[in-house]
Amino acid sequence: MNLTELLPELLKGLLNFTLGNAVMITASLVLIYLAVFKEIEPVLLLPIGFGCLLANIPLAGMTAAEGIMGVLYDAGIKTELFPLLIFIGVGAMIDFSPLLAQPRMVLLGAAGQFGIFGTLMLAIALGFPLNQAASIGVIGAIDGPTSIFVATKLAPELLAPIAVAAYSYMSLIPIIQPPLMRLLTTKKERLIQMDYAPKPISQKTLTLFPIVLTLVVGLLVPDATPLISMLMLGNLLKVSGVVDRLSKAAQNEIINVSTLFLGLAIGATMSAAAFLNWDTGKIMLLGLIAFVLDTVAGLLFGKLMCVLSGYKINPLIGAAGISAFPMAGRLAAKTANDEDPHNFILMHAMGANTAGQLGSVIAGGVLLAIVSKLV
Amino acid sequence: MKYSVTIKDKSYIVEIEDINARPVIACVEGQRFEVIPAANPAECENKPEVKTRTPEVKSFDLRNNAANKNVNEMTAPLPGVVIELFVKAGDVIEAGQVIVIIEAMKMKNSIRSTRAGKISDVLTNVNQTVAHKQVLVRFE
Repeated sequence: MNLTELLPELLKGLLNFTLGNAVMITASLVLIYLAVFKEIEPVLLLPIGFGCLLANIPLAGMTAAEGIMGVLYDAGIKTELFPLLIFIGVGAMIDFSPLLAQPRMVLLGAAGQFGIFGTLMLAIALGFPLNQAASIGVIGAIDGPTSIFVATKLAPELLAPIAVAAYSYMSLIPIIQPPLMRLLTTKKERLIQMDYAPKPISQKTLTLFPIVLTLVVGLLVPDATPLISMLMLGNLLKVSGVVDRLSKAAQNEIINVSTLFLGLAIGATMSAAAFLNWDTGKIMLLGLIAFVLDTVAGLLFGKLMCVLSGYKINPLIGAAGISAFPMAGRLAAKTANDEDPHNFILMHAMGANTAGQLGSVIAGGVLLAIVSKLV
Repeated sequence: MKYSVTIKDKSYIVEIEDINARPVIACVEGQRFEVIPAANPAECENKPEVKTRTPEVKSFDLRNNAANKNVNEMTAPLPGVVIELFVKAGDVIEAGQVIVIIEAMKMKNSIRSTRAGKISDVLTNVNQTVAHKQVLVRFE
């Protein structure tokens, strides 16, 4: 073997490096920069960024079926295991008592899902086939695990851009929502104070809620059962009060480990060949539209409830009717509080926000059921 | 006595009844404010709540001035856990000053006084769970 034959072998990594790889590695460095130095959703963007970096090192073999990223993808994403494990943790962190105390907030959680169907129509108009359009629409659920769950079933080829759009816009909610809130509500509406004087929720009700909801949603929308049941399992661990260790594990170890592997596996699908195309650009744009439509629909519905209630409901809580728990609820409360430091609508906003979380899961399940029958 | 005060390039005419009275009663653009100046003006620089006070006091006074004249207690505007307490009995506070921070749904909420006055009783402690409308402090 002479040296001229050996040289290409030694430099094979560099020789196979493409311009596309360079672009994607730059993108991965931006994600890592945002996570490390701006602390924007670091728990997600850091692993996604690093996974993307690995996916664009030529010939490393990590994303091949037998490489670590390939194994993680096949085991955790293809099977939908990671989003479901994450939901156990999310469920253990959610407090449904503000929603149970004010059941009418459910309506806002439904209104906040308009973005899903609005975006689906737009995606079809842009030429996406129904299965892809539905997966893009679910970005409007504003819930990472739900988006990944639905996209994996309907259009796995679009998983990377959908996951990246869902998670990056979620981190931009504090920038996307407040201008819309101020644009669509009047100062008088934002100043509306809401009393929070519900009867206390009993331990029995709190414990029965996740069980009953799993049964009701499961029987009505079977396709939503995996998501809703894991969410409710996590919640049951927490509210039952008898498995404190499991509840803590769900809120920490289970969700942390799953999020790390989910982020890495999703990031590793962002190879230049799969990610750098016009569809990715369109999906990013549609994702932004989905977030805006959700917020607008929620606010308009909030305004309707405001009028119907005789100006007793602050329409800002409508903007919390999306998923993105608990960020959206806090933002609505903060916007009202910024307007008047004596106005606290946090409990109402959180009621709408938890309703939005449930609404997005159910909407995702309904969409899954309809679209898998149609395609 | 009338004073001209310029804040951020806008001039206001402030009418003060008696500059030596405490609280100082000041009228700006038809609104009445009660102001208690700090004993040592240099200290003001180190107190964040004092620095940001002016606009918040104003937004409060726009709506509540008349209504809260006779309110002699402050209640919790939302249920949660008191995580910080900034006042004690005997403190003289201003409208808009932060009294407690209540944590609810993992969010810290600064509860500000709706009136100025001297606090006679503090009815809550750090780490206490408070219900909606539970009395936090009483004024003299």
